[in-house]
Amino acid sequence: MRETPLSNCERDFLLKAIQEKKRLEGRQTYDYRNIKITFGTDYGCCIVDLGKTRVLAQVSCELVAPKESRPTEGILFFNLELSPMASPSFELGRQSELLVKLNRLLERCLRNSKCIDTESLCVVSGEKVWQIRVDVHGEEVTVYSADERDPIPLSIYHMPICVSFSFFLQGTYLLVDPCEREERVMDGLLVIAMNKHREICSIQSSGGIMLLKEQVLRCSKIASVKVSEITDLISRALENDKRVRKEGGKFGFAESIPKQRITALKSDEAAIEMTDMEEKAEGIISSTEPPSEPVPSPVVRAPGTGQVGESLENAWGVEQLEEEEEDSVDHVMDEGQEKEEEEEEESQYCNKADVVVISDSEEEEVVVLHQEAQVDSKQQVSGPQQPGTGDSKKKKKKKKKPVQ
Amino acid sequence: MEVDVQSTLTLREFGCEQNLLSRPDGSSSFVQGDSSVLAGVYGPAEVKVNKEIYDRATLEVVIHPKSGPPGVRERAREQCVRETCEAALLSSLHPRSSLSLVLQVVHDDGSLLACCLNAACMALMDAGLPMGCLFCGVTCAIDQEGQIITDPSAQQEKNSRAVLTFAIDSAQRRVMMSTTKGSFSVNELQQCIAVSQKASEKIFQFYRDSVKRRYSKTL
Amino acid sequence: MAAGFKTAEPLEYHRSFLKENCRPDGRELGEFRTTTLNIGSISTADGSALVKIGNTTVICGIKGELASPPTETPSKGYIVPNVDLPPLCSSRFRPGPPGEQAQAASQFVADVIESSEVIQGEDLCIEKGKLCWVLYCDIMCLDYDGNLLDACLVALVSALENVQLPEVTISKETDLAEVNMDKKRHLNIAKHPIGSSFAVFDDSIVIVDPTAEEESLSTAMMTVVTDEDDRLCTLYKPGGTSLSGEKLQDCISRAVTRNREVSKLINTVIQSVKPQK
Repeated sequence: MRETPLSNCERDFLLKAIQEKKRLEGRQTYDYRNIKITFGTDYGCCIVDLGKTRVLAQVSCELVAPKESRPTEGILFFNLELSPMASPSFELGRQSELLVKLNRLLERCLRNSKCIDTESLCVVSGEKVWQIRVDVHGEEVTVYSADERDPIPLSIYHMPICVSFSFFLQGTYLLVDPCEREERVMDGLLVIAMNKHREICSIQSSGGIMLLKEQVLRCSKIASVKVSEITDLISRALENDKRVRKEGGKFGFAESIPKQRITALKSDEAAIEMTDMEEKAEGIISSTEPPSEPVPSPVVRAPGTGQVGESLENAWGVEQLEEEEEDSVDHVMDEGQEKEEEEEEESQYCNKADVVVISDSEEEEVVVLHQEAQVDSKQQVSGPQQPGTGDSKKKKKKKKKPVQ
Repeated sequence: MEVDVQSTLTLREFGCEQNLLSRPDGSSSFVQGDSSVLAGVYGPAEVKVNKEIYDRATLEVVIHPKSGPPGVRERAREQCVRETCEAALLSSLHPRSSLSLVLQVVHDDGSLLACCLNAACMALMDAGLPMGCLFCGVTCAIDQEGQIITDPSAQQEKNSRAVLTFAIDSAQRRVMMSTTKGSFSVNELQQCIAVSQKASEKIFQFYRDSVKRRYSKTL
Repeated sequence: MAAGFKTAEPLEYHRSFLKENCRPDGRELGEFRTTTLNIGSISTADGSALVKIGNTTVICGIKGELASPPTETPSKGYIVPNVDLPPLCSSRFRPGPPGEQAQAASQFVADVIESSEVIQGEDLCIEKGKLCWVLYCDIMCLDYDGNLLDACLVALVSALENVQLPEVTISKETDLAEVNMDKKRHLNIAKHPIGSSFAVFDDSIVIVDPTAEEESLSTAMMTVVTDEDDRLCTLYKPGGTSLSGEKLQDCISRAVTRNREVSKLINTVIQSVKPQK
């Protein structure tokens, strides 16, 4: 599904609002949207909400052989997915430009900045549920998990945090943390990844906008403030999660469902009052006909080949059905023989079918249904099947004679 | 023994939030114990020409596992969820259009397929798509002693001899979908179905309560 | 005219038959198509079988390979099933990577193998933690006319019965596997999981062994897999219209009969080959 394009009046409205220093959600230019961090019951799993953008991250690990070139290092693997849930324009398994860009950004700021592994906030708007597979492949027998402590926690040197700035009208206006709408009208995007020590880990500018030195410096100053705020928030969230786990309290996503919202509801553990299930089951079983005991014996056509089918019981359909099942490529050869074996009427039908006049045989099918016994119709339909069924006829033919 | 039977026949606490994502037409997050699934629905919308069906809507279901790329198991699950939804949805009301349902596993702690089904149903409700009936998923496990455990956790599933998952419809409480693992007797199957039908009442009541709450405009 | 009716209103066409408790191909509602089984069809495979249910033709070839057992279960070998639906078998399948139906069928077969414990994993183990057999079961559909899953299971079970693996020993001195091709043994097949597929028409009419056309017109599909002790291994109903417990019971009862029928067929066919050896 393609994304609905932004209409001109929407675009004009947004730009005009930006010129008037107003934003859609009523935020100020440098305001961040609300950040909510929720940890799952699994270690190394969290959901981050940034306004209406939502990201799910899971760190998993596996023991593998190290790379030959770096035998003493573990392998770090990041994978970002743009799930189709986030937007109908995201397609499954397609490497879109945005995806490549974001994946690269993540790699650069997490792997290349040598922080080993961190939970990072990647700020891109538009309600994206990303599943980041941060697979940590360790060489030693230690279980890694990001941002968590219980099994040996990953040592994180620093946490790079990304802050994005969008530029409008050739860099005249600047907004922090653009939302999806704003991103669609922006001219350029600058993403700065920085840690709380005010070290820049990565800068990425996209959109082809020329930025002045002052602009970049100003952005980096803003970023440093935001980064320290966010770092604080993360450490507080981690502390909190740690405390709750230790106290044995409730944690995980189940607890994150807001109670004070009419769209959400929770129910307690519920017992199913059920005492008569055994009787019920017995009732159903006993009211059903038991499986019929005598089953038809299979017919062995040749060593290694056998056949079973209810139709075998059918006294006079036998010849016909055997024909139909076993007919083979070398049909012509047997045709004469066949005729001898069968009643006139039968062979007539049979031949007709051999020619594969499908419409013909079907016509008769219907007539037969309404006039005569079902047995007939069986025989009719056998026609179209013939060309398709291809077993070795020769050996079966030999077998067949005694049957008759 | 009698007491034990009672204690294993429980549904873990469950919770649901609807309309929590802004982009999809309908979304829900369903939590059963620690298992949690997020669902988003888009549609009815434009359909790709090669997927167009002339007399009904095309439904696509995608299940994202928590980590790693989706595998064959997810495909089998997707098929189960899709066909269950197809049977419940009145898709002939939206011919030549597409519906897509995306499920994201947030946490797997047993009864995952049941949780997926419940999240799917809530998301479809949230999207306001016309449905002939609602459906819910119930998982039953049969442990080594032959006891039935409803809504098992991952640990219970692992220790059990057989795991059966059913989708029950709200109209007649009949079995819409069934997948099983492990071997079991006919009697056990019928007992599980009976239990699931009973459990479905609880879940449908929960659906009803949550919808009631949503439209009551008061907390 | 009748052909026109069939093309224009395929569902009505089928209904007019179902009303009379029969089907366009003359079968009764609970009647299977003729099932033909041939074992040892592929001489180069370790075990093979060809199954025809009506037009549906499925061939299964099993190749045993030596591998080191998985770390979680060091004393067990394993089976890797794969169902292939090539474009050859029906115009509905396209070339390329396996489609959804093929994947679902592969998963189904894998689930049945696991649930029914066809073979004890220990039987495939040669030396604990060191060497075991891996059985690659490739099932290929040659002609698709509905009821793929039943045919796959019959083919799989028969092919497993047909498997002959050479004796393998690990020599003490060299620590290498030695294969003795002269001494071959059959596998010990513990269970015979046999499936019966059903299609539901108009929410209530259940027919057995549907053809491809019936499958596409039906509102629900279901496959019941039982073993010879009348236990259920799988009750697979991927959605569709709902069925009551009573209806399910009818189907199970039919499946049990079918299992006896097919088990007998498999045994007879295997017996028919034995004396020659």
